[in-house]
Amino acid sequence: MRTRFIVLLLILLAPGAYTQDYKQALPGYQYQFPRDHFNHPDYQTEWWYYTGNLKSADGHRFGFELTFFRQGVSRDSNDATWHVHDIYMAHLALSDISGRRFYHDERINRAGPGIASLDAASGAVWNGNWRALLGDQHQSLRAAEERFGIQLELASTKPPVIHGRNGVSQKSAGVGHASHYISFTRLLTSGEVSLNGTRYKVEGTSWMDHEFFTESLGTNETGWDWLSLQFDDNTEVMLYRLRHKDGSVDPYSSGTYVDVQGKSVLLSAKDFTMTPTGETWTSEESHGKYPVQWRVTIPGLSLQADISTPLANQELASRIGPTYWEGAIDISGQHAGKSLRGVGYLEMTGYGGSHSWGANRSNNH
Amino acid sequence: MPYSLLFYRLIVRPVFRERARSLLVILAVALGVSIVLAIDLAGNAAVGSFRSSMESLTGDNDLEVTAAGGVPDKIVGQLATLTYPLRISPRIEDHATIAATGETVPLIGIDIIAEANNVSTQQIEPLNDEGLKHLTDPDAVFTTRAMGKSPGAKISLLINDQTHEYTVRGLVPGSSQFSGNIVVMDIDAAQQATDKKGRVDRILLKLPGQPGLDNWQQRLRSALPPGLALNPQGSQTAANRRMLAAFRGNLTILSYIALLVGAFLIYNTISVSVVRRRTDIGTVRALGASRNAVLIAFLAEAAVFGLLGAAIAIPLGRVLAIGAVRLLATTVDALYVSSRPGSLALSTGSILIAFVVGMGVAVVSALSPAREASMVPPTQAMGRGQREYAIRIDRKRDALIGLSLAFAGGLAALAPAIGGRPLFGYLSAILLIAASALSIPALVYWCTSVASSVLQKIMGVEAMLASRSLAASLRRTSVLVGALSTAIAMMTSVGIMVGSFRQTVISWMESELPADLYLRPAGDPSADRHPTISPAFTERIAKVPGVEGISRFRAYEIQYQGLPATLASADTNLPRHREPSSFLSGRPAADVLQQLTAGDAAIVSEPFTNKHHVKAGDIVTLPLGEKLVSFRIVDVFFDYGNERGFVILDRSTMLRYLPDPAASNLAVYLRPGADLEFTRELIKRAAVNSQVLIFSNRDLRREAIRIFDQTFAITYALEAIAVIVAVMGIGGALMSIVIDRRREFGLLRILGATTAQIRKLILIEAALIGILANIAGLALGFLLSLVLIFVINKQSFGWTIQFHWPVSVLLFALSVVYVATVLAGIYPARIAQRLNPIEVVHED
Amino acid sequence: MISTSTRTISPAESRTPPPPLLSIERVVKDYQTDGEVVRALNDVSIQIEPGKFVSLVGRSGCGKSTLLNLAGALDFPTNGHILLDGVATDSLDEKGLTQLRREKVGFIFQSFQLLHTLSAVENVELPLLLAGHRDPRPRAMERLTSVGLAELAHRMPHQLSGGQMQRVAIARALVHRPLIVLADEPTGNLDSSTGTSILELLRRLCTEQSTTILMATHSIESAAFVDFMVQMRDGCIEQIVQS
Repeated sequence: MRTRFIVLLLILLAPGAYTQDYKQALPGYQYQFPRDHFNHPDYQTEWWYYTGNLKSADGHRFGFELTFFRQGVSRDSNDATWHVHDIYMAHLALSDISGRRFYHDERINRAGPGIASLDAASGAVWNGNWRALLGDQHQSLRAAEERFGIQLELASTKPPVIHGRNGVSQKSAGVGHASHYISFTRLLTSGEVSLNGTRYKVEGTSWMDHEFFTESLGTNETGWDWLSLQFDDNTEVMLYRLRHKDGSVDPYSSGTYVDVQGKSVLLSAKDFTMTPTGETWTSEESHGKYPVQWRVTIPGLSLQADISTPLANQELASRIGPTYWEGAIDISGQHAGKSLRGVGYLEMTGYGGSHSWGANRSNNH
Repeated sequence: MPYSLLFYRLIVRPVFRERARSLLVILAVALGVSIVLAIDLAGNAAVGSFRSSMESLTGDNDLEVTAAGGVPDKIVGQLATLTYPLRISPRIEDHATIAATGETVPLIGIDIIAEANNVSTQQIEPLNDEGLKHLTDPDAVFTTRAMGKSPGAKISLLINDQTHEYTVRGLVPGSSQFSGNIVVMDIDAAQQATDKKGRVDRILLKLPGQPGLDNWQQRLRSALPPGLALNPQGSQTAANRRMLAAFRGNLTILSYIALLVGAFLIYNTISVSVVRRRTDIGTVRALGASRNAVLIAFLAEAAVFGLLGAAIAIPLGRVLAIGAVRLLATTVDALYVSSRPGSLALSTGSILIAFVVGMGVAVVSALSPAREASMVPPTQAMGRGQREYAIRIDRKRDALIGLSLAFAGGLAALAPAIGGRPLFGYLSAILLIAASALSIPALVYWCTSVASSVLQKIMGVEAMLASRSLAASLRRTSVLVGALSTAIAMMTSVGIMVGSFRQTVISWMESELPADLYLRPAGDPSADRHPTISPAFTERIAKVPGVEGISRFRAYEIQYQGLPATLASADTNLPRHREPSSFLSGRPAADVLQQLTAGDAAIVSEPFTNKHHVKAGDIVTLPLGEKLVSFRIVDVFFDYGNERGFVILDRSTMLRYLPDPAASNLAVYLRPGADLEFTRELIKRAAVNSQVLIFSNRDLRREAIRIFDQTFAITYALEAIAVIVAVMGIGGALMSIVIDRRREFGLLRILGATTAQIRKLILIEAALIGILANIAGLALGFLLSLVLIFVINKQSFGWTIQFHWPVSVLLFALSVVYVATVLAGIYPARIAQRLNPIEVVHED
Repeated sequence: MISTSTRTISPAESRTPPPPLLSIERVVKDYQTDGEVVRALNDVSIQIEPGKFVSLVGRSGCGKSTLLNLAGALDFPTNGHILLDGVATDSLDEKGLTQLRREKVGFIFQSFQLLHTLSAVENVELPLLLAGHRDPRPRAMERLTSVGLAELAHRMPHQLSGGQMQRVAIARALVHRPLIVLADEPTGNLDSSTGTSILELLRRLCTEQSTTILMATHSIESAAFVDFMVQMRDGCIEQIVQS
């Protein structure tokens, strides 16, 4: 019951409840950086999504996720400190791949007197003491909870990529069922991971997504699968596959290929295939059955890749939001005849059956 | 001789023969113990389990951040962004009065959204899906299940001086920590409703397990501005509990005094029965019973009485406790802190105490008579005269001991308090009572022997016989007079103290309340609640024709040295300077108030100086907002309004640190010549949208005295019970006198006395006892009142009370006692005159 | 005195005999004890002239104390009448009885029954005080003198011997000049010589003041002092012996 009320406050609000006050993602948006790295209060939903693969000097492998969400609730002119205009959520997850354990934490807050918000002047986006500093060239992440924490410096190697066509990434038919979607596809990362009292110096690569929109999904979509792939030939691919209730794949599924210079190429649904290849993992918490092995083909680029995960349980069973699987993956494949390897992240939503409340934060394998 | 037979002959048979006497002893124990039990239970419920009503829904937090005038909002943001994994819960804490029922309940504002992060605290449950959408509406409230509200129901609440309608959107889960009604709002709505912009009342913090509490306190202390207080959670409760502990201690002492009177009663009746059973004792001893056997038999009888009395006392005490709780709760609310009395719980501990006390009192009171019984020789007892002669010798010695005890008592009265409790004061009172008890035989003897011939001339032979008889049975008479005079002394001393206090308060009000009208927000007043009046309203009132000026008074709750205190500010540039001095130094008010406006100066109340051992010229450092500010105490003022310490600043000084301009109450001064009632009407009309009470000067005084009387109701009740017990004792004792001297009365009848003469004799005896008890009681009462006023009260509460004789009250009370004593003699007299002379004379 | 058995009237008594002070006519007295009825006096008749010293002798339970109580209006007959100075005792109300006790009857007890809180002379004057006399002291002193205890007037009872106490009691019984004094075992608590002196005193006072004395006693020695000895047994008068 209690989680239900928070859930309703979030993305899955009844259509039309508050949305009339917000702008839709429409083609022709003029992007300006660094301005557009920060807040867009005109749009109802926004997030800043960091994922990455890290390794310590002695070979201890980690994956991490740090996400800041903003959901608009009201655009009235009441400027009282505690008045709720937006609700801020944040997720933090650490995949201890070598240790075969997954940890995650989440929080929800209002802006209040500086509890959570964004500040373009200082470049900060924060929720409580989880914080990201945004910049074109350089970003910092700092987040911790009782058992683990991350402190990372991220350096851009390529300019930000704008996905989609004409500056919008369409999610389903109809005006407005789209989002403005920006990514930093390869961020060189270094810093520190602490876990249960031990500190690890780590290095690796991260990916950052920034999306803002108002009600992008259509009503008959149950979820999506999303992949970010960082190949060791310095190219990246982003793909997402929207699923319908009847199991079919939405024609608006789409992706992007980023070449060595950072030039991006739109991939539409007919340009790629992204299919589960059999192995699944069932969550004890949510009873969701997640496909953890995939095959990706992009014929136009002569690219095939087999996706697998080094840690099957990377599900965030959330108390205050929807449950989803977000985890580090290994890639092996071929591009233009050459064999390649890589790392990346896979996100799968909408597989959870019943939610189990009061779930443990850390999930044993 | 087998013990069972001994016990039967000596104890059981006489007990059943003298059913009335036995019942009286049991009743005496029952009453005394029930009073002790009632005070213990009621004290526990009203005060012992005191938990600030604001502690509801606090969960298992470790630390709390508070500040005078509220914690600035931005501190919450600062704490939230510290890199420590803390769980932070900001709260607004206030009170709301439910318009429909008049009940005042805690109003708590929490960050409903952030509370979802806390797994362990209980969550608000929306009543339905509609409720979900309106959770953060400005008019949304959440109520406890017990308040029985259905989804979407409207509820009208009075907060500060405004009443608004709110909509119930969800339920507050029941909590084992707090039972009762509370209203919860989202923090935004709460801030608006209570007009506490920019601040919260408390921030609760839950710390991670490692490292320890002290370590965290240090770390967080350095992260917070100095004016903020960082304490373990529940410190407000702890401080209030400390303050109430002293109150509870005084109550307990009071209840034991009631027990003392009961003890006198028991001593007397058992003594009498020993005399009566002389022959039985002699016979039993002649048959081989040892001294110890007799002693034990009488003690066993007393123990059984104690047991039975205690058994009766338990339900009786429970019933008395119900009334006592109500009275106590009123006192606590008015003098100390708003409280919600818990339930009366008869624990095994209390029951055990009742039995121990009951049996203990009975056995201790019976010790001396039992010892006497054991000394009866195993032959027929000699005439009474012999024994009484022996007493006469002790009389002088006892009086001397009494005098030295009184002297010691006087010395004890000069000693200071220990740990805030007037222990030497209690000792002094006990010594004085003991001194009085020891001196009474001398008093009785002197009065009766001197007065005997005078009485005969005035009231005839019956009076002479009566006084002779009293003088002859000196031991018994002394005990009777002692018991009654102690009860009278208790009544007198408390009456004098309360009367003096009352008069002091009245005189004080005359100097302290110079304004014509006083306004305060509606809703229950309490020592620690300070609802406010909006500045807009104040301005409206200032414009009402006839109003010359307004003095705004504002109070905040703070903690100082671990005890609760009130920090207040007042306008000192009053339109008229017509206050006589009510400051300790005796200086004119104008001078003192002038000093207040210059720099960081403060005046403190007398209770404050008593609790914190400061005086004029000292520096106190108080947390105000974010800063710690040092103030110089320029003077001390008398305050009988409550028992908390008060610190008063000039309004301009206060606004520098706590800029909220709202007022807790307003004192309105009228232009000379303005009509009071007319202006009052105008003000009432100007106040039409606010819930504000208007008192004229006279109303306020009457109201204050009403609260005063209500507060002391419990002492009045205790006194009345003491007197009833004592008079009952007199009645019983007279009964046994009659029965004991029936042979003598029979003889008098044979010698030609009429039944009317017998009756007159007994009534005169009762009257003589009454007069002696009154004289002794008044004298002792006067001395006790001095100890009460100048030692016990002063050291417990810090009030200086001017001594006044409450003449009319005393006269009334004493006459009542006197009449009751005489009336107590009527039934015994009736018994006496019905005696058949022939039967009694030949009893041998 | 006329008994149940008729006697010839002696020449010394041929003058018109004075009306009897105490007339006991066919008196029956029953008591209820433990559900049983005990007959203490069985159809007793006797008449006593004024100024005579009469003893009632017999063993315990013979009814002598009962007869004494009836004579003093402390108790009342079940059947029959007691006439004291011509008035039937059971016809008197409370007021009348009090009057009787104040004016006509005096009592002396085996255990003296003095008030221990009063001195000797105060004990003696007590009946007069109760009756309302303003200044009974002179008369009380006079009475005390007549029993030979004037010097001990201000002693308290516990300072007196048994014999002295009984003398005080006698003075008290006579202070209001009663017509009849009822003495219940007056020598019972005294040794024989003291007892004899008390009997002597009673004899003297009876003669001097013409007060009728009716005495219940165990002692046979009393025969020497009394005018008549009424021997009783089992609630009946066995015989009357004149000394």
